[in-house]
Amino acid sequence: MKLVAAAKVRRAQEAVINGRPFAETLVEVLYDINEQLQLEDIDLPLTNVRPVKRVGLIVITGNRGLCGGFNNLVIKKAEARMGQLEKLGVEYTVISVGKKANAYFRRRPSIRVDRFIEGGSFPTVKEAQVIADDVFSLFVCEDVDKVELVYTKFVSLVRSDPVIHTLLPLSPKGEVLDVNGNSVDADGDEFFRLTTKEGKLSLERERVVRRKDGLCSPILQFEQDPVQILDAMMPLYLNSQILRALQESMASEVASRMNAMSNATDNAVELKKNLSIVYNRERQAKITGEILEIIAGAEALTDID
Amino acid sequence: MTLNLCVLTPNRIVWDSEVKEIILSTNSGQIGVLPNHAPIATAVDIGILRIRLNGQWLTMALMGGFARIGNNKITILVNDAEKGSDIDPQEAQQILELAEANLRKAEGKRQIIEANLALRRARTRVEAINAIS
Repeated sequence: MKLVAAAKVRRAQEAVINGRPFAETLVEVLYDINEQLQLEDIDLPLTNVRPVKRVGLIVITGNRGLCGGFNNLVIKKAEARMGQLEKLGVEYTVISVGKKANAYFRRRPSIRVDRFIEGGSFPTVKEAQVIADDVFSLFVCEDVDKVELVYTKFVSLVRSDPVIHTLLPLSPKGEVLDVNGNSVDADGDEFFRLTTKEGKLSLERERVVRRKDGLCSPILQFEQDPVQILDAMMPLYLNSQILRALQESMASEVASRMNAMSNATDNAVELKKNLSIVYNRERQAKITGEILEIIAGAEALTDID
Repeated sequence: MTLNLCVLTPNRIVWDSEVKEIILSTNSGQIGVLPNHAPIATAVDIGILRIRLNGQWLTMALMGGFARIGNNKITILVNDAEKGSDIDPQEAQQILELAEANLRKAEGKRQIIEANLALRRARTRVEAINAIS
């Protein structure tokens, strides 16, 4: 199972790498457009900052078990956040992604769940689209005022952390603010990259370096109102954020599974060794016992003579 | 001079090669792009992208996004894109019927918005197979 999980880590890595041209171009264009629109007042539905009465929490877990503490950590983080929100007097709604989260929330009818989404074995754009559509309609209809994403960030092959990122409202610069109000700017957006260094899987995080090349000529005309164009781009950004969260989650899940299985295998090997030793000792003890009986019996017989 | 067209979706590069001409559906109507087009940026609606190369037209269904045209290089960023030849007609028709049924059942602002989007996507896919002109 460890080898199977290792193969899946490769696939997760490839998926992320394939998604990079899209995300990079998007960030570039977003930045360029924003530069040209700096002076204008933009008012887009997805950037509406409203007083927060209800928060939507997207909880991303996996479909299968045998992955150590992966699913539980995410769910615990979500529960902690729900506790925080309750204390602040803010209501919440959950969008649960993944069989494990679905099972958990189904057992707790007291928590209001908006939708249960079950993913396939690998995150696809269509899944991200489903979640994005749901979130989009929730936000635009003012059912929720803020949307947060609870997923596991892939730190390294042996470590992954559940994190909470604010997805909506988007700040007009495409910034996503952390729960503490720290901005994870599009400039400093991180892309994680699994590579093979010296034959071993390792992790590189790189920050997006803003490239100012002449690809986008400064006299770019807008076919439609710039507002309309930004309007079209925000859902794309939303989609790619959600997809990336799904992919990171998947990679973390697979890495946890790899570790859990590796530990299980080691434990099983040790258990087998111990059991073998105990078994052999018993066997030898029994044989020794039988030999002693036979010898004693033989001794006894010769004595009578 | 040929145009270089790049169609990107969040998880893969759908198209990355040279074409002679494209016709793109935007929010404000269809636009045709020939070599040496002026640089513009436009939003792309859920609709069909037609590509001409070697005297033949290819269709691709695009699910909304954004396009940037400049210096004979077109970059289209969309949520999802499917080549007309890759879509199964039966399946697309079924999905269209399902979407229509969903729209009729939909209640409430939210469901109607979602159902509408799904219907437009399904319709685009069906059109992409048919419109090979």
